[in-house]
Amino acid sequence: MTILSIRNLKVDYATQDGVVQAVDGVSLDVAEGQHLGLIGESGCGKTTLLKAIVQVLPRNGRIVAGEINFKGTDLLQLSRTDMRQLRWREIATIPQASMDSLNPVQRVGKQLTKLLSVRGGHDKRAAKRRAVDLFDLVGLDSDRLSHYPHEFSGGMKQRAVIAMALALEPSLLIADEPVTALDVIVQHQILEVLRRLEEELNLTVMLITHDISVVAQVCDSVAVMYAGRIVEQADAGPFFASPAHPYSLGLQQAFPNLARPRDQLVSIEGYPPDLREPPTGCRFAERCPFVLDACHSDDPQLQLVGADRYAACLRSSEMDALRLQAEDPALWQQVEVVQATAGPQETWGDSASRAQDGSAEWAGQPGAYADAVATGSDSGADDILLELRDVSKRFKVGGGLAGLLRGDKEQTVYAVNNISFSLRRGESLGLAGESGCGKSTTGKLLVKLLDASDGEIDFDGVDLTALDGENLLGFRRRAQLMFQNPFEALNPRFTLYRSLTEPLIIHGWTDENERLERVVETLDRVNLRPAEVFLDKYPHQLSGGQLQRVVLARALVLQPDFLVADEPVSMLDVSVRAGILNTTRRLARELGLATVYISHDLSLLQYTCDRIAIMYLGEIVEIGPSQQIISNPQHPYTQALIAAVPVPDPTIENPPLRIREGVPRPTEQFIGCPFSQRCPEVMEACLSVRPPQVSDDEGHITQCHLYGEHSASPKLKDSNGTRA
Amino acid sequence: MQQEAMVRGELRGKKTVQFRQGSALRQLWETNLEVFQRDKLALLGLFIFAFFTLVAVFAPLIAPNDPLTPLKDANGDWIKDVVPYWMAVPGEDEAEGYVNTFHLGTTNIGRDIFSQLIYGSRAALLVGFSAAIAVAVIGTVVGLLAGYYGGWIDTLLMRAADVAFGIPFIPFIIVISAFFDPSIWNVVVAMAVLLWRDSSRVIRSQVLVIKEQAFVSAAKVSGASELRIIFVYIAPSILPLSFLYGTLAIAWAILTEASVSFLGFSDPDTISWGYMLQDAFNSLALSREAFYWIVPPGLCIMLTVMAGFFIGRGYEEVLFPRLRRM
Repeated sequence: MTILSIRNLKVDYATQDGVVQAVDGVSLDVAEGQHLGLIGESGCGKTTLLKAIVQVLPRNGRIVAGEINFKGTDLLQLSRTDMRQLRWREIATIPQASMDSLNPVQRVGKQLTKLLSVRGGHDKRAAKRRAVDLFDLVGLDSDRLSHYPHEFSGGMKQRAVIAMALALEPSLLIADEPVTALDVIVQHQILEVLRRLEEELNLTVMLITHDISVVAQVCDSVAVMYAGRIVEQADAGPFFASPAHPYSLGLQQAFPNLARPRDQLVSIEGYPPDLREPPTGCRFAERCPFVLDACHSDDPQLQLVGADRYAACLRSSEMDALRLQAEDPALWQQVEVVQATAGPQETWGDSASRAQDGSAEWAGQPGAYADAVATGSDSGADDILLELRDVSKRFKVGGGLAGLLRGDKEQTVYAVNNISFSLRRGESLGLAGESGCGKSTTGKLLVKLLDASDGEIDFDGVDLTALDGENLLGFRRRAQLMFQNPFEALNPRFTLYRSLTEPLIIHGWTDENERLERVVETLDRVNLRPAEVFLDKYPHQLSGGQLQRVVLARALVLQPDFLVADEPVSMLDVSVRAGILNTTRRLARELGLATVYISHDLSLLQYTCDRIAIMYLGEIVEIGPSQQIISNPQHPYTQALIAAVPVPDPTIENPPLRIREGVPRPTEQFIGCPFSQRCPEVMEACLSVRPPQVSDDEGHITQCHLYGEHSASPKLKDSNGTRA
Repeated sequence: MQQEAMVRGELRGKKTVQFRQGSALRQLWETNLEVFQRDKLALLGLFIFAFFTLVAVFAPLIAPNDPLTPLKDANGDWIKDVVPYWMAVPGEDEAEGYVNTFHLGTTNIGRDIFSQLIYGSRAALLVGFSAAIAVAVIGTVVGLLAGYYGGWIDTLLMRAADVAFGIPFIPFIIVISAFFDPSIWNVVVAMAVLLWRDSSRVIRSQVLVIKEQAFVSAAKVSGASELRIIFVYIAPSILPLSFLYGTLAIAWAILTEASVSFLGFSDPDTISWGYMLQDAFNSLALSREAFYWIVPPGLCIMLTVMAGFFIGRGYEEVLFPRLRRM
C-alpha cells in the first residue's frame, strides 16, 4: 500500500538573484514498509523535498504546484494546526546535524518524557517506561536517561535522536544524512540500529544521503535526484547491479570500493546547472559522456525502462552498451568542463593530451626536481626521504595562570606515542584511524607545524627539530601540506594569483614574470584551465572542488618532494572527489612526490596509497602494503575498521562488528596495549605487557600480542565480546 | 589607494596576460566603501564629521569674535546677556550703544556664544580623533600580540585588560585632572589608558579565530615569517574592527569630554561644548530661558556622537551581517 505519494511537486526559492527552482516536478511513491534511499550531490534538492513534505520550508521557499498525498490526505490542503498534529506523530524527521538539536541544558530522558507526555498523551509513569523501552530499542543504556547531552558521544546522541523520532510511533521516518560526519565505527553501528528498526518495527523509511554505500546497506529501493528532478528510481538490487541513468553510473563508479578495488575512479566533471534558468534539454547533458545533440533540446521524462524501474534518459534503450563503455574513466574525462563562476564557460576536449605535454616540460626542468623524478619510486630501500624514530607528542591542557587560580589540574594529552616508520621517495603512505587517534597531529609533526616532544624525525637525513633559519626555509620549500577544508585554506582577501605567488615571494623569486609563469603552469597541471581565467578570482567565486585544486596547486607551486594531504576530499561532493584524488595521485606519480594521506576512509586510502598505517590512541598498531592491510588485516582494530566500512553493493554483507564505539581520551599512558579496553580478543598479557611488533617479509608489521610470545595468554572475553 | 597594481606578464614568450593583482589594502578600501554605500546613515555620519572638521579648521575665519574675550560697547560696558539679533527688540541695541550681530547672543560676561560654538568644535574633534586613534592603535596592537603569541604575553596583556576593566572611567579622569593641570588632554590620556580594553579583547578573539584557520597554517608551511603572517595575513582581516572601535571611541571621547567639562574639571582657557554647557548652567541660563545658549552646544554634542555611532553601526552591519536580521 502506498503511504506517501508525491505528484509533480515544484518548490521555488526566491533569492536576491532570481527564483531558484529547487524541486522541479518530482513524482515519487513510497510504499508501506519500504526503505527508500534518496541520493544525489549537494544542491540537487533532496533536503528541500524533505522540507516540502513536512512543510517546514524556509520563508523564501514556496510550493508552487503539485500534491503530496499521505495516507490519502493531501498535505498541502491541511491547516497549520492539522499539519502540526501530523508532524512527528505520523511523519517523523531526523534533520541534518540533528545530534546538535538536543537541548544542552536538559537531561536527555527529560526531553524524551516531555515529548511523550505532551505530544503522546502518556502519563508520567507510562512516559518513563516508554522512554526506557525506546532507549533499549536504539541500544542505549537506560541509566543514560538522566544524563545531559554533553555527556553523550556523537554516536550516542544520534541514537537518542533516533529514539526521539520514534517516540510517537510514526508511520514514516525521514532521515536526512543520519550518519554523515560520524566515524566509521559509529556509522556502522547507527546503520545497524536503523536496519534492526526497519525489521522489528516494520518502519517505512526515507533516507536522504549523498553516500550510495549507506543506501546499499539499509535501503531496498533507490531514487536518484539531480538538479531538482528524479532521474532514476529502482529497487536496490537491480540499481546497484545495472544503473539505468548515466548520472547513476557515474556516481556508482566514483566511489572507491574495498571489496572491488579499481585502478581509476570516475570523476563526474563539471557542475550541476544553474536552477534559476534550468536548461531546456536534459539537465545532465552538460556533464554526460553519452550526450547526443537531441539531449540539449529534448527534456527526457521519467519512464518505465524495465520491471518496476524508471529512468529519465533519451538513450535508456541502449543502456546495456553504454554501461560497458562507462567502465572507462577516460570517457568521463572528456567532458571536463572548466567553469569559473564569473568567467566564460569552455570545454576542453583535448585536456588529456595537454596534461601529458605539461608533465614532459616540467620533468625536463633542471634542478632537484628532475632528479627526484629520475630516481623515482623504483630505487632501493636506502632511498629513504623521511624517517621517524620513536616520535611522541604530548600536549598540556588546563593549567596556566587562570587554571591555577581556578584550581584546574594540568593534564597531559598523549597525542602521539613512540611511532616509527619511514617513507621512500615517491612512495605514498596512508594514515587511518578514528578521530582522536593522533593522525592529524602526526601530519603536523611531519611538516613541522608542531615539534615532537620526543624522538627524531629525519627528513633527507636531517633532524627536523634542529632546523632553523636558512635550513628551515629550505625544508619549507620541500615539504607541503594540503588541507581538509578548501573554504578555509585560502586567504579570503587574496586573489588566487596572490595566494599562489606568496610561497614564491617568500622563497625569493623576485622576477614577476617567472612567478607568473610558474603559477600558470601549476594551475594548468591541476586541471584548472584556462589558468589565466582564475588568476584574479577570489576564493568565494569558486566551487569547493575548484578550490581544492587551487589548494593543491599552492602546495605544488614550490615543486616540493613531500606532501601531506590531511583529509583532502572529506569536505567535497562525491562527484568531484574522484577528480581531486585522481589529479593528486597522477601528479604525485609524475613528480616523484612522497605523499602521506590522512583519512578516516580506508577505501580511499586503498585507492591512493602504496602502504597504510593504522593508528589507535597515538600508536601505529599495524602498518603494511595497502592490499595486505585490506585483504589480510592482522590487528583486531584493523579488522574492526575494515568490517565497519560500508560497501556500495547490497549483495555484500559486512561481517558483524565486534567492538563498540568510543575512543577513550588519551590522558594516560598504557602499560600494556592501548586497544585492550575495546579489543574483542583481549588477553591477560594485554593489560600488563607492551605488545611486540611482529613483521613478515613484506614489511607488514603488527603490534599485537596475538602474534607474539604471549599468544597463549588466557582470554578475558568470550567469543561474543562480553567479559568472561 | 584606488589605483590597483596590475600584473602583466608573458607566458612562454607567446601570450601576454594582464590582470588585477588584488591586495589586502584594496580589500580594506572596498570594505570601507561598502560601509558607506550600503548604509546611508553611516554616510550621514561621515558628512557630519566632515562638516565639523571644516568648521574646526576654518574656525578663525568663521567666528566673528574671539570666544574668550568679553565684548564691550561704545561706553565701555560689557555687552552681556544679549539675546540673538533675531529675537531682539528692534532699536534696543542702538540705544545701548552696540550693534547686535550676535547669531546666538552673548554670555553673562559678554562673550559671543556663536564664536564659542565654532571654537568648541576644535576641542571636540581634537579629543575625539586623538582618543580614537589611541584606542584603535593600542587596542589593535595589544589584541594582535596577545592573540597571536598567546602564552605569558597573552596572560600579561589580558590581566592588564582585566585591571583596566575594573577602573571606573569618569572618576579616573577626575583623579587624573587633580594630578595634572586641567586640560582637554586629560580625557585623551584617560581614554588611551583605559579604553583599549574593549577593542583589544574583541580583536584578540578575532585573531584567535583567524590564526587557527588553514590559510595561516598554509603560510607557515610555505615558510612565511611570523611578522609576515601577522601583518600580511592577520592584520588586514582585523583592521575593519579597529575602524569600528575607532569610530565608537570618537563618540565616547566627545561625550566624556563634555561630561568632564560639565563637572567642572576642564581647562577654563579652552572652549569646548561641555564647558559652554557648564558655563550656562552656572550662570543660571536655564532660569532665564536662554535656550539659545544651552541648545546649540547640546545639539552639536548630540550630532557628533550620533555621527560616530552611525558610522560604527555601518561597520557592524558589514562586519557582522547576522546582526542585521535582529
